[in-house]
Amino acid sequence: MANNEYHVSLHDLTHVFDDGRRSLTALSSVTLDVPPGQFTSVIGPSGCGKSTLLRVVGGLLTPSDGAALVDGAPPSGAQRAREIGFVFQDPSLLPWRTVADNISLPLEVDHLERTRELPDLTELLDLVGLSEFRDYHPYELSGGMQQRVALARALAFNPTLLLMDEPFGAVDEITRSALRYELLRIWETHGGAAGRKTVLFVTHSVSEAITLSDRVVVLSKRPGRVRADITIELPRPRTEEMEQTAPFLDYAAQLRLLLREDAR
Amino acid sequence: MSIPEFTQRPLRSLVAYVVPPTALLIGIVVFWEFYVDWRDISIIVVPPPSAVVERFFESPGFFWEHGWYTLYEATLGLVLGSTVAIALAVLMAHSKLAERTFLPLAIAIKVTPLVAIAPVLVIIFGFGTTPMIIVAALMSFFPTLVNAMTGFRDVNEGAHSFLRSIHASRWQVFWKLRVPSAMPYLFIALKITYPLALIGAVVAEWFTGTRGVGFIILSAHNNLNTPTLFAAVGVLAIIGVTINIVLSVIERRVLFWHESVRSTN
Repeated sequence: MANNEYHVSLHDLTHVFDDGRRSLTALSSVTLDVPPGQFTSVIGPSGCGKSTLLRVVGGLLTPSDGAALVDGAPPSGAQRAREIGFVFQDPSLLPWRTVADNISLPLEVDHLERTRELPDLTELLDLVGLSEFRDYHPYELSGGMQQRVALARALAFNPTLLLMDEPFGAVDEITRSALRYELLRIWETHGGAAGRKTVLFVTHSVSEAITLSDRVVVLSKRPGRVRADITIELPRPRTEEMEQTAPFLDYAAQLRLLLREDAR
Repeated sequence: MSIPEFTQRPLRSLVAYVVPPTALLIGIVVFWEFYVDWRDISIIVVPPPSAVVERFFESPGFFWEHGWYTLYEATLGLVLGSTVAIALAVLMAHSKLAERTFLPLAIAIKVTPLVAIAPVLVIIFGFGTTPMIIVAALMSFFPTLVNAMTGFRDVNEGAHSFLRSIHASRWQVFWKLRVPSAMPYLFIALKITYPLALIGAVVAEWFTGTRGVGFIILSAHNNLNTPTLFAAVGVLAIIGVTINIVLSVIERRVLFWHESVRSTN
């Protein structure tokens, strides 16, 4: 299949967790197409299968039914080509490694620099603003800094697809807001010749979704299905002031209504 | 003149951690000395500490030589037992079938009182060093197996997912994630198994030894030479404490990143 019009394509995706005694439908007939370079947020109530969706796209989970395609092929292909950068809610760093060694972990798994131009360590450290902390260990850093290391680690292969599973969910509100704009800056500037990365961003923060995204997909509560698909037509670069403007607040009201209806 | 901060703190912790147990030990020894004297207990039953110390300094070389020998046997056994246990744990962490096959047998080894099979081992392995090494190995086998198995599996879920998402091989996941994650568990195991290996070696020496602390204890016992017996036990205690200190020092350096070490700083 050579249809590369969409970077990520989910067709009738259904996933059922079944441990033999109980079965739980996490996703039900999710169809979603994401063009290259688009920043898409997936929002929905807790347990609606947002993370499951991301794990399927990342090739960490094989769906029970339906198809997930990345670059027109099953996700394992993109995974093997190291085109996927994953960031989790828990920074998931290796505590025995320094910041620098955590970021270069991917390069130990595959020496891709022979075939592809990769950002070097200094560049990555600079990008996430941690140059002075390269020899620190994760436990010496704040939660927000740890998450920036995780982001740099995900960017080590300069992947075209970035999958972020509530990456700022565990940090405090002030840091969270700062990280949001930092991610935008990185996404807007760190594309290289390949252009902007495609981002799938799972969150349950309405303002985070609007600030970051070109598009917000709302999932219903379990089993997750696409409830709404909203294009965010705010100009870029996005700023903090924008959060107080009428269009932003309209989007927020619309999304909150959708989420509230579902929570009833 | 005030003492600078950085020397004050270690000094204070030295005082806090070393003085109380030392005081207790001295108290016990003094009480023991006077009690034996006061009740006029025969040296054949319980020797006064002074007699034990005197016996030790009569021929320290003799005690150290046998101590070293027991330590050597225990260490070889420990290395053997731990190596086999870790190899099995790797297998069992990766395969449920391997776990189902080996775990029942491992548990059988665990619940069998090794002291009971020592005579059998002597018959099988003869009168050389081998029985001591085998018993020490069997003693150290099970705790290492269980801890290594738990350690290899107790990996950070997210870090594991990340490695999978960049298509790391099982081998890479093993070396980069599972082995370091298992280190805290292996240190716990080592602190348990080294003393156990020493016990194993000493017990085996009772049955077959011609050298080692166990042998001295047994022959001193047969000759009602209690000062020698107690001095041998003392040497064993010193070896045990030294091992523990050395392991703790290594642990602090290797596991600097782990909560167990950081929380004691």
